[in-house]
Amino acid sequence: MTATSETRIGQDILAALRAKMPHAVTEERWQTNDQVTITVKLNSLPDVVRTLYYEHDGWLSTMVGNDERSINGTYALYYVLSMEGAAKCHVVVHTEISPDSLEFPSVTPSVPAAVWYEREVRDMFGLRPVGLPDERRLVLPDDWPDDLYPLRKDSMDYRFRPEPTEDNENYRFVNDAKQETTVVPLGPLHITSDEPGHFRLFVDGETIIDADYRMFYVHRGMEKLAETRMGYNEVTFLADRVCGICGYAHSVAYASSVENALGIEVPARAQAIRAILLETERLHSHLLNLGLVCHFTGFDSGFMQFFRVREKAMTLAEMLTGSRKTYAINLIGGVRRDILGEQKAATLALIAELRAEVTRLLDILMSTPNFAGRVANVGRLDPQIARDYSPVGPVVRGSGHRRDTRADHPFAGYKLVGLPVNTQAGCDILSRTQVRIAEFYDSIDLIERLLDAAPGGPILTEGFTYRPHRFALGYTEAPRGEDMHWSMTGDNQKLYRWRCRASTYNNWPVLRYMLRGNTVSDAPLIVGSIDPCYSCTDRVTIVDVNKARARTIAYKEMERYCRDRTNSPLK
Amino acid sequence: MNAFTPPDELAVKPAGLSMSEDVARMKGTLLKNIRRSAYVYRVDCGGCNGCEIEIFAAITPIFDAERFGIKVVASPRHADILLFTGAVTRSMRMPALRAYEAAPDPKIVVSYGACGCSGGIFHDLYCVWGGTDQIVPVDVYIPGCPPTPAATIYGFAMALGLLDQRLKEETHHEAAGEKVALAHPDIPYGLRVQLEREARAMAGYRQGRDIVEEFLTLIETRDPAPVTARIGDLVTREGDPRRAEIFQRLQTVFTAAITGDAS
Repeated sequence: MTATSETRIGQDILAALRAKMPHAVTEERWQTNDQVTITVKLNSLPDVVRTLYYEHDGWLSTMVGNDERSINGTYALYYVLSMEGAAKCHVVVHTEISPDSLEFPSVTPSVPAAVWYEREVRDMFGLRPVGLPDERRLVLPDDWPDDLYPLRKDSMDYRFRPEPTEDNENYRFVNDAKQETTVVPLGPLHITSDEPGHFRLFVDGETIIDADYRMFYVHRGMEKLAETRMGYNEVTFLADRVCGICGYAHSVAYASSVENALGIEVPARAQAIRAILLETERLHSHLLNLGLVCHFTGFDSGFMQFFRVREKAMTLAEMLTGSRKTYAINLIGGVRRDILGEQKAATLALIAELRAEVTRLLDILMSTPNFAGRVANVGRLDPQIARDYSPVGPVVRGSGHRRDTRADHPFAGYKLVGLPVNTQAGCDILSRTQVRIAEFYDSIDLIERLLDAAPGGPILTEGFTYRPHRFALGYTEAPRGEDMHWSMTGDNQKLYRWRCRASTYNNWPVLRYMLRGNTVSDAPLIVGSIDPCYSCTDRVTIVDVNKARARTIAYKEMERYCRDRTNSPLK
Repeated sequence: MNAFTPPDELAVKPAGLSMSEDVARMKGTLLKNIRRSAYVYRVDCGGCNGCEIEIFAAITPIFDAERFGIKVVASPRHADILLFTGAVTRSMRMPALRAYEAAPDPKIVVSYGACGCSGGIFHDLYCVWGGTDQIVPVDVYIPGCPPTPAATIYGFAMALGLLDQRLKEETHHEAAGEKVALAHPDIPYGLRVQLEREARAMAGYRQGRDIVEEFLTLIETRDPAPVTARIGDLVTREGDPRRAEIFQRLQTVFTAAITGDAS
């Protein structure tokens, strides 16, 4: 908060921007030394975002819509760019939209990464992106009434449940293929893993020509909940429940967004404990993904072995936090549990066992010829497409981009210790798996180093006051990539707005390109390789458009085909 | 907008499903006579994955629910037990109902996790319908956020009636005039609060409570040696440097309190 002009990072970028577009930027506000919010004129919004994105190594981290009519009479949009060139900082491009027009020029034609954000802001606030190529609903269910925008402050009570407008799903799926194709819908229910989602594969014979998907089957309205029923500290526990696997990363991101907004100093020991727990979470998450990769390549004993070993990471989490899910540890200003000498010794013993066991399993996995055959050169993510869509985590690192929030914008305890960024240039599933393997070992090293580097002192700051309408970003590197939160404090001991963007949100839009050109039997493997908190579907309907005939086969058959690759169910 | 509206008036209620008497009777017979493996199908109605991963943990080698014949299957058509996780979201209501319809009668419905049981933290939100029992009749609830694998296996055993013979049951009945003892009555209340706050800021609510309890017990104990010497001894004897640091902080608070030094 007390940033002085000498220590601010990113001033050169702003100077260059002002030189190129002298009249675009009207205001500049610094939240921390490396976070700045610039207000731009509505019409120059796409140009400013494009300039920052392509000319200054910016990546689109999130976009926040906000109903600020009760503060200044306008709707606001905040495009958050993570600048990863020479000066590593966050530039937030803010623009105001008049409640009379409700329109803004779409950024998507200049920066494709904005597509999901602009569809979402249309759903939630009714703000119309003019020129947006894809105008379908994104977040709200098909049976939600038109013209009811949940996040507008005056639209509805957070408990309001309107009558369903219809009982059938009516989402339009997009197919860019030139030739005639067969349609393969997958979902929304499935056996192997987690969240529901509905996929449609457009295939020609065995080859996937295009793919589209309907997500957000589990949209519940957490952002509305955070600003209505909960106080600041309760939202840390709500943020834990954004994701059952990497929830702690969300909790840290949320807590640090409020701490950044209010300039609260978190004790160094609490920062180190947060980083240790984030790495613990990464251990169990990466072991989960390695297990699933085994499963999809038909190596089920590997799957069971990885899950057996993974229990050690769960034991570690339970010992350090009291719960197998690293839940309920953060408060605004610190953490709720310390790591004493006894826990430190037990942690070191557990991670040593983990390192030995996983090394043995990985030796077996990597020397299984069938494994390399299934994952090399499959599910290619082209580096240029990655650049255009801003994916995060092992997905983007597997395509050669050096992006890791822990290294680019050190937060929590990562300031105490440096860390390597692992990249692979293969762009395929093998590369993404290798990135995860390298990160697994890094996590173990980091835990060891953080345990040693953690200084003494308290673990919680108290006695600060909340001031209204302050806002800032908070970010973490979850196992699946960067989580980005944006919070604005309110004047009633509640958040005015909380925007939470999970890592997989940035990875879905590129999946379509990863699926194209691969065979149907590799589809579950490719979807699994972005580690999407999701893997498969319970039934597969095959629609052959040439014969105008539909056939449904059990999901199990699809998964069996992925594992065995014989007796195609398409024939 | 801010005026109070009873939640019942805000929310449309989805129509529930009823079970015919025949099916209920068949279900009773199934539960009594089941002498084989039970097949489970998972329906995620909008959970956060936490429950799904714990179910995974329950069926993999460490906990291994399959040794009790509990097996997760790929299609609702094979299932004896339907396991509903997550608060039912608007988008998942129809897919969840289709899964319910697809499973053959008689079927047992288990509602899994805090969100499944009641809607959990999301119970009254605009895009959910609440817990599993808002859309289908539920037989067994497995609570927890998420339930541990052990709780999961216990819940399955409950669903299958395997728990009829309990090993140990204990219930506490309050006797007349029974009272809870006051903690540390000899230590001034203000000092105790100060020490507890310091311990919490240093070591958190869990370990902090253990540590301050140790400290309070020490200063309360009647002993010929002076209390300051005993505290000094506690600090020097402590092998764990972090615990020693925390004891030292408590010592500072204590010394300041008894010497009247406000700093």
